[in-house]
Amino acid sequence: MSEFLQLVIAGLTTGSFYALIALGYTMVYGIVRLINFAHGDIFMVGAFLGWTMLSVLAAGHLPWGIALFIAALLSMAITGGLGVFVERFAYQPLLSAPPLSILITALGVSLALENGILLLFGPGFKTYPHLISMAGFSVGGAQISHIQIGIIILSFLLMGALYLFVHHTFIGTAMRALAVDRDAARLMGINVERVIQITFFLGSALAAAAGVMEGLYYTQISFFMGFVVGLRAFTAAVLGGIGNIPGAMVGGLIIGLLESFSAGYISSRWTDVIVFIVLIGTLVIKPTGIFGERVVERM
Amino acid sequence: MRALLQNRLSTAGIVTLVVAAFLPFFCKNYIVDVALTIVTYGILGLGLNIVVGYAGLLDLGFAAFFAIGAYTTALLETHLGLTFWETIPAALVLTSIAGIIIGYPTLRLRSDYLAIVTLGFGEIVRITVTNLTITGGPDGLYGINPADVLGHDLTAPKAVYALGLVFLAVVLVFVIRLGRSRLGRAWTSLREDESAAEAVGVPTLRVKMLAYVMGALVGGLGGSLFAARFGAIDPTSFTYAQSVSILIIVVLGGRGSIPGVLLGAVIVAGLPEALRFIHLWREFVFAIALILLMLLRPQGLWPARLRHIAAPSETEAEGVAHAAPAEQIAERVAGEPEILLETQQLSRAFGGLRAVSDVSFTVHRGEILSIIGPNGAGKTTVFNCLTGVIPPSSGAILWNGRPLARLAPHRVVARGLARTFQGIRLFDNMTVFENVLVGMDHRFHLPVVAEMLALPRAQRETGLHYAAARRWLEFVGLSDQAGLRAGDLAYGDQRRLEIARALASQPQLLLLDEPAAGMNPTEKQSLMGLIRRIRDLGATVLLIEHDMLLVMGVSDRVIVMDRGQVIADGAPDAVRTNPRVIEAYLGRDEEEEDEMPDALGQGAIA
Repeated sequence: MSEFLQLVIAGLTTGSFYALIALGYTMVYGIVRLINFAHGDIFMVGAFLGWTMLSVLAAGHLPWGIALFIAALLSMAITGGLGVFVERFAYQPLLSAPPLSILITALGVSLALENGILLLFGPGFKTYPHLISMAGFSVGGAQISHIQIGIIILSFLLMGALYLFVHHTFIGTAMRALAVDRDAARLMGINVERVIQITFFLGSALAAAAGVMEGLYYTQISFFMGFVVGLRAFTAAVLGGIGNIPGAMVGGLIIGLLESFSAGYISSRWTDVIVFIVLIGTLVIKPTGIFGERVVERM
Repeated sequence: MRALLQNRLSTAGIVTLVVAAFLPFFCKNYIVDVALTIVTYGILGLGLNIVVGYAGLLDLGFAAFFAIGAYTTALLETHLGLTFWETIPAALVLTSIAGIIIGYPTLRLRSDYLAIVTLGFGEIVRITVTNLTITGGPDGLYGINPADVLGHDLTAPKAVYALGLVFLAVVLVFVIRLGRSRLGRAWTSLREDESAAEAVGVPTLRVKMLAYVMGALVGGLGGSLFAARFGAIDPTSFTYAQSVSILIIVVLGGRGSIPGVLLGAVIVAGLPEALRFIHLWREFVFAIALILLMLLRPQGLWPARLRHIAAPSETEAEGVAHAAPAEQIAERVAGEPEILLETQQLSRAFGGLRAVSDVSFTVHRGEILSIIGPNGAGKTTVFNCLTGVIPPSSGAILWNGRPLARLAPHRVVARGLARTFQGIRLFDNMTVFENVLVGMDHRFHLPVVAEMLALPRAQRETGLHYAAARRWLEFVGLSDQAGLRAGDLAYGDQRRLEIARALASQPQLLLLDEPAAGMNPTEKQSLMGLIRRIRDLGATVLLIEHDMLLVMGVSDRVIVMDRGQVIADGAPDAVRTNPRVIEAYLGRDEEEEDEMPDALGQGAIA
């Protein structure tokens, strides 16, 4: 029982990372029908930016809480900007080209970001400072650390904020309009390019937040960390129903729990096999994912 | 002039590729090694090109087939002591089974989901061979014997390279023949418009499955070659990154373009080698180059040209027996009952809306029957239920006295119902002639293998269908445009091509959904003549149309629908003066009621 609870908490923590990153995949897909294969690497860049900021700020003798807050915020802003930059130069010119062309550019961006970070920071691991103690409390025999609780709460706050933004602001409404019909939205006077850029900004900023939290939690980051995490987050987005925001959140948590249980009860070597079998099984039963809606085509 | 220049350019390009293939024989071993890598990537690219280029599907796990081929050869050689050549049939069988396994769950998925499912399949294969002991775990397998030819082991780099070239040549012939076969044509139609392909008779699920299987076969062959070349394999050769490289080859080179794929292989396998001098920077530079190339040439560096199969000439077509339109239809309708189609209480609801509600009518053989009614009356929904595009919520459809329900659209076409669409849905990037050939897909009975081997029986079958297609183009008056791109036809001609494509399936019943929409008066006049001529062939015509002049002029009988129900059924004149019909169109207004019959008579109610 205590082991089970332990695994649930661990699963929800990693699931929060996946959920935050899956939101970026799902928002971008919903609006421009692009599977942004570079998104996992955007997350990785966010983690590296956070590490850089913290290293600089830690030298300035700031209280750790303030340093962390500034580092996270700056990392989110810069990574968000990077997302917009990538969209503007690599994706926007191809939005009306065959979908595979833009997919290949996305793969190119992914490769460029990985190797760019490799050139800048080298191939080794970078270690986040131990700012938050791993101490915690015990519930029913399970050890739960403060950082786990912090990550889960903060992720839910961010996801809640995004949900409110999408449903209760003008730009959020414009985003939803674009998802339904980009051309109609343009004819209604919506600045489509701007809304797409805001979407990339938000998605990338959320991924950066996940990157900084992952750095704090696992303490070690490397240039190739974006691949596996990005893959699982993408799987989460599809599992939940790609294009659907609550679907990405739920999908992320499910993948996190699956990973945690398979590591705890079977073997972490088979994690991805289990994750993909669950995904394929779900899609066979419900081809549009958990929350996805079936699109009826007109003849 | 431009076409000529392009022809010269691509001939020159192909000659360059061939010459380049033989250059390594005169170079040092390092170059031979790189060239062999290019050849291997070329084979893999040509395999993936079947899936991505021909059929327009996505596969991010193609390295799985490569892995299955390589591991099959390695395991059979090391454990059972088979020779390289003996392992190849087993590798082909196993990879095609894997193709079916990956194809099956993906068939029903929306195309975007293919990315993750195929990626997942690739990862499952890689993780499995990494974790099992029989496959050697992370260390892989070693001690694989080289290929032997006439008792000589091929170990010298140049000998292995020659073997690679032979494999590449075999694969080239295979994919070129495949691309020109009717399966290749079906794939192109699938890529252009999947639901239209299904609705004109292409069994899309099976055709998609075959794309994965054929691609898998070629990938597996590449894997066997790979294992024999290195004598050792391990899981790091079969990663997601490998699948991505193969996809880049296809898309960068030009989807569906064989010289493009070969050029892509040269770039993807050769460029990193050429960039060795910049050490750490080379991956980064490669990535940036890839982005720039895609931005500059979204269609690929050497885009595929329009598939072109020459239509037989008029005299050639006339010389083929049983190809004439009247004979084709007569062959189909002989001995069938008088009542062709009957719907009984047919209903279809979308959510709470009953689009079609208890609709019952009969269609008699040889008549021209029109369904009219205001927009939203449920006319197209009736068509969609009849053709299997959507299942009815309740009610029955009797076809020649037998139930016709829950059949996939392509099976409905095979039974003899063909249709056109309200919004034109041609395969724009195929020729006019090939559009008609797609409509005949279900009439080919000999296996594709027979066609690829050009067996006499297959050639006869193909000849008959080419001639028949040509005759149908003559029938609608488009034989001079046979070689044009369908998307370039004038609007009225596109409508007529859709009719020819439907007729080519040898229908007993032709369903036309607003064929006159957007036509000018002259075009409408000739359309009326065409509809009468179709009936004179022995086919029955069911027509949805808003143009009253056309409906009243051509129909033997008219059914009027309003709000999902049939409100009148009878001869044109009787329907025209029916008060319920007038009310449905113009509402119950005392003043306008008098003008009604006249308004209907003049047409133009849309």
